Amino acid sequence: MNELDIEGICRIDERITGRYRPDVWEQRTAYYLRRDPDSSQVAEVDGRVVGFMLGEVRGGEFGLEEPTGWVEFFGVDPSAREKGVGRRLIEALLGHFRSKGAHVARTMVASQDKEIASFIAAMGFVPAPLTALEKRL
Amino acid sequence: MTSETRYASAVRDEVRTLPKPYHEAIEHWQRHNFPDYPKLAEEWDRFFPKDEPFCLCAKIAEDIPSEIEVGERKGEEKALAPRELPEEAAQHLLTAIKAQASTEFGSIQQHQGTLARAQEPQDHAWALRVMAEELRHGYQMVHLLTSADWSPVTNTKASDMVEEILSMQTGSHLLAAFNLEYDSFLDNVVFAAFIDRVGKYQLTMQKISAYKPYASSMPPMLREEAFHLAAGVIPLRRWVEAAARGDGYITMSDIQRATHKWFGRGLEMFGDERGGQTNVKFGLKDMANREAQDMYIDECQRMYDDLNERYVRARFPKLSRDDAEKAFARIKSGETVDGVGSEDLLRLPDRRFFRRRGEFAYQMVGTHGGAFTDVEKYIAHVLANLPEAYRASIDVKHWADLQRKVTRGETPLKEAINSMPRLARVGGGCPCAKSVRWVQESG
Ligand SMILES: CC(C)(COP(=O)(O)OP(=O)(O)OC[C@H]1O[C@@H](n2cnc3c(N)ncnc32)[C@H](O)[C@@H]1OP(=O)(O)O)[C@@H](O)C(=O)NCCC(=O)NCCS
Ligand SMILES: [Fe+2]
Ligand SMILES: [Fe+2]
Repeated sequence: MNELDIEGICRIDERITGRYRPDVWEQRTAYYLRRDPDSSQVAEVDGRVVGFMLGEVRGGEFGLEEPTGWVEFFGVDPSAREKGVGRRLIEALLGHFRSKGAHVARTMVASQDKEIASFIAAMGFVPAPLTALEKRL
Repeated sequence: MTSETRYASAVRDEVRTLPKPYHEAIEHWQRHNFPDYPKLAEEWDRFFPKDEPFCLCAKIAEDIPSEIEVGERKGEEKALAPRELPEEAAQHLLTAIKAQASTEFGSIQQHQGTLARAQEPQDHAWALRVMAEELRHGYQMVHLLTSADWSPVTNTKASDMVEEILSMQTGSHLLAAFNLEYDSFLDNVVFAAFIDRVGKYQLTMQKISAYKPYASSMPPMLREEAFHLAAGVIPLRRWVEAAARGDGYITMSDIQRATHKWFGRGLEMFGDERGGQTNVKFGLKDMANREAQDMYIDECQRMYDDLNERYVRARFPKLSRDDAEKAFARIKSGETVDGVGSEDLLRLPDRRFFRRRGEFAYQMVGTHGGAFTDVEKYIAHVLANLPEAYRASIDVKHWADLQRKVTRGETPLKEAINSMPRLARVGGGCPCAKSVRWVQESG
């Protein structure tokens, strides 16, 4: 992923969410580009971005001391789905995590997001022995 | 949580500090040439709170192949010391390292001049971080010059090579792109988008260097370079959008003029279009000059398509994405759509425009590729397309004089190509006291 992929990522996000949010994606991509530009991935077809997967290796979150590859933002253009794009993106991302010394990858999925949950499950992720808890303030 | 949620991926780089006299020389240089550096820590906590703190050190990547990857000696062991390279290769390499060092320190001097004029706190913090990382890159080059024995190819002592580099000023650097003053903060950003992009190409080509210490220096620098390009493109994206809404303080025409100022100097950083084969032969780079330059131009074109598309979208906020993309395609192909035509968009100048080195040096080609025969008309055309503040500079005057002399046959082309303007502030040692060196060997 590089700085010229921002608009392609915005396009996919817009197709999924119906909102054009360039500022949000500029901030997010800048975050990954300055911390770990090699890990985050985009998939291109004919020079057009059709999928993206952003993440990085961090240690210490939630008391999890080991370096963990966090899969954080992803999306595949609706017209390019179910062709293995998501799988190839995550495989590339996990490959980078491994090369950076992570032995585990983690992500969080909203329970009503069946599509994402099925994809993540198909990619071999299993429920972790952790429960996400929250309290409204 | 901040200190525990740090970036763990850098653990693979070995960190090295320079011997004290060199480390202190660079810190001393920083105090004179980069006085805003102390602001970095404060802005870091605000804008990059979860990022690993900045480290003024050399970083050596692990897992670099031990065998030469391209060229005549492909498959042989990479050199660990300059004497293990063929003499001509070591000479090329030393020149490349010194040139790279000059660009790193030079860009800081340029950025410092207009840094304070950033309008957005984030733009300021990003540019400041870019400068600090350039200082680290300069530090890395000094490490390469001082941690190896270069005596097989130079009689100059390492300390004198470092002294020479630290004494350079805007005007006495080795490459023209680093001898131009910035006119406003727009230059900080356009420079990051165009000139740091050349840097990315140069570093990428040298990832395969047959000199292993150089190859090992590339991955950490390239990771930083990825952010430098974002620090150029993201502010440009926002300015273009503001310009389309009509509420910006930077117009499309300002960006266009700044592009004319920098693009040719960026192209010339690749070296003569017809050269570069020697570096490939020696396994120092994996591409010759023209091939790399072509890729660079394509990438700049994509950057401008991106900015233009964003502009069109912002000009027509009611259109859906698909319709805005269609409108952009029509405008790009020359149509005028609801009052917006291709002349409202940004365009890269022809690669032969305003060139002073390489295959197209002093050929009189306009921004759109048209040829000129009358030198005065050509000079007027170039001036009309440059930023106003730059138009009046010594650099432009020097160019115009040479362009006249070359066209009239009074100055041989080769001489014009090698002629650098002697700008007002030409280097020297540390200004604290007369004749004091940056590098204090006894210190
Ligand atoms: C989830 C998503 C990334 C999948 O992308 P994709 O390119 O279609 O995925 P692939 O074709 O590589 O499919 C990989 C696997 O996931 C499974 N999968 C993908 N989408 C699925 C769905 N909707 N339902 C069930 N399984 C699904 C497939 O069965 C496939 O498994 P298989 O290879 O064993 O058959 C894509 O649907 C998407 O972008 N969804 C929206 C994401 C989103 O909302 N992002 C914003 C939050 S960051
Ligand atoms: Fe640099
Ligand atoms: Fe840079």
